[in-house]
Amino acid sequence: MRKWLAPAMTGLALAIIAHIAVLHYAPRMIMDRAMERLSERGTALHAFSRSLRTTPQTQTVVRPSPDLAYSICLFDMRQAPQGLRVRMAPYANYASLSFFDAETNNFLTLRGDGEAREVLLLPPQDGAAAAGTAIAPTERGIILVRRLAPSAEEFAAAAEVSEGDDCEPVRN
Amino acid sequence: MKRALAFLVAGLIGIGIGAYSALAMSGLLPGETRSFAGLDIHGWVGDLTTGSADASPYVRARIARHGLLALAKSEAIYFTREQDDHGGLLNERCRYRLSGGPMPSQWWSVTLYNSESYLPDNSDGALSFDASRAGEGAWSAIVSPNKPAEGENWISSRNAGRFDLTLRLYVPDEGVLDRPAEMIEMPVIERLDCEGDSA
Repeated sequence: MRKWLAPAMTGLALAIIAHIAVLHYAPRMIMDRAMERLSERGTALHAFSRSLRTTPQTQTVVRPSPDLAYSICLFDMRQAPQGLRVRMAPYANYASLSFFDAETNNFLTLRGDGEAREVLLLPPQDGAAAAGTAIAPTERGIILVRRLAPSAEEFAAAAEVSEGDDCEPVRN
Repeated sequence: MKRALAFLVAGLIGIGIGAYSALAMSGLLPGETRSFAGLDIHGWVGDLTTGSADASPYVRARIARHGLLALAKSEAIYFTREQDDHGGLLNERCRYRLSGGPMPSQWWSVTLYNSESYLPDNSDGALSFDASRAGEGAWSAIVSPNKPAEGENWISSRNAGRFDLTLRLYVPDEGVLDRPAEMIEMPVIERLDCEGDSA
């Protein structure tokens, strides 16, 4: 009996490690895969790409809302060491500018309320963010603009407004 | 040699059990959507830590798989329902009436997704129902694979197989995050009939 104790304890330890590892790495892997898929479908790095109106044929991520117009910007701070200037153009109906890190956390959301919203997104670093800036918790992630647009007419209006969105690296 | 084999077998079994249990408990196995929902309001399940760094590892993994890019609670809260009022799993073989009243938020919608968390493959253009069509008071919509009678709101379940409905509340009213069960009058899902029911 005793001779099985050490192998059993090893098995238990490895079970705990495997359990924790799956939980830790799964969100990051799913986010990586989603960014890869978005990139393959033409979503730009450091520029907003306007998505087509959401339908079963155009959906690129799980649980998209057919009532919203989406614009997506992929970011990689290794290629924008001085940060990214992100601007959401004003929209009369509901709109939000949201930021997601590589672990899927929504680390910042700015609501439009009919106004333009702008923020300077900085690479991961210690310390607090100054006014008008935000610090990305991870080097890579996704920036998403949502605009309420349940009808084809509203989607066309949101698409026109989205031309004024910006997501560009800061340069000297 | 025998002892080394015992360690190897125990190690492999341990890794298998550990990995499988993590996948199962976080809803990452195929066909599984619910796990560790912090809130259950009349069968609509959700978790107010969705999208935030406070989410448990299980919630984070589940959201990554079934609700990637979900917003944190101050902007939106999400609830999903997989069962009708009889406790049966929602599926396209049946017709349902979804009904409710005003929701405590700036805007809301109910959207149908298949068991893989995608919009089902149909071209009906009727996969959600939202506040802009509901008006001010009571509202209802038929959830069915075929278009209902003129004048009825419709959410199409064509080609959905087994599905669920997701309720989104954007910009929840003050107090909702503290007392969701008191403040949200959840929509009711009444099963009307199913294919093969005797007439």
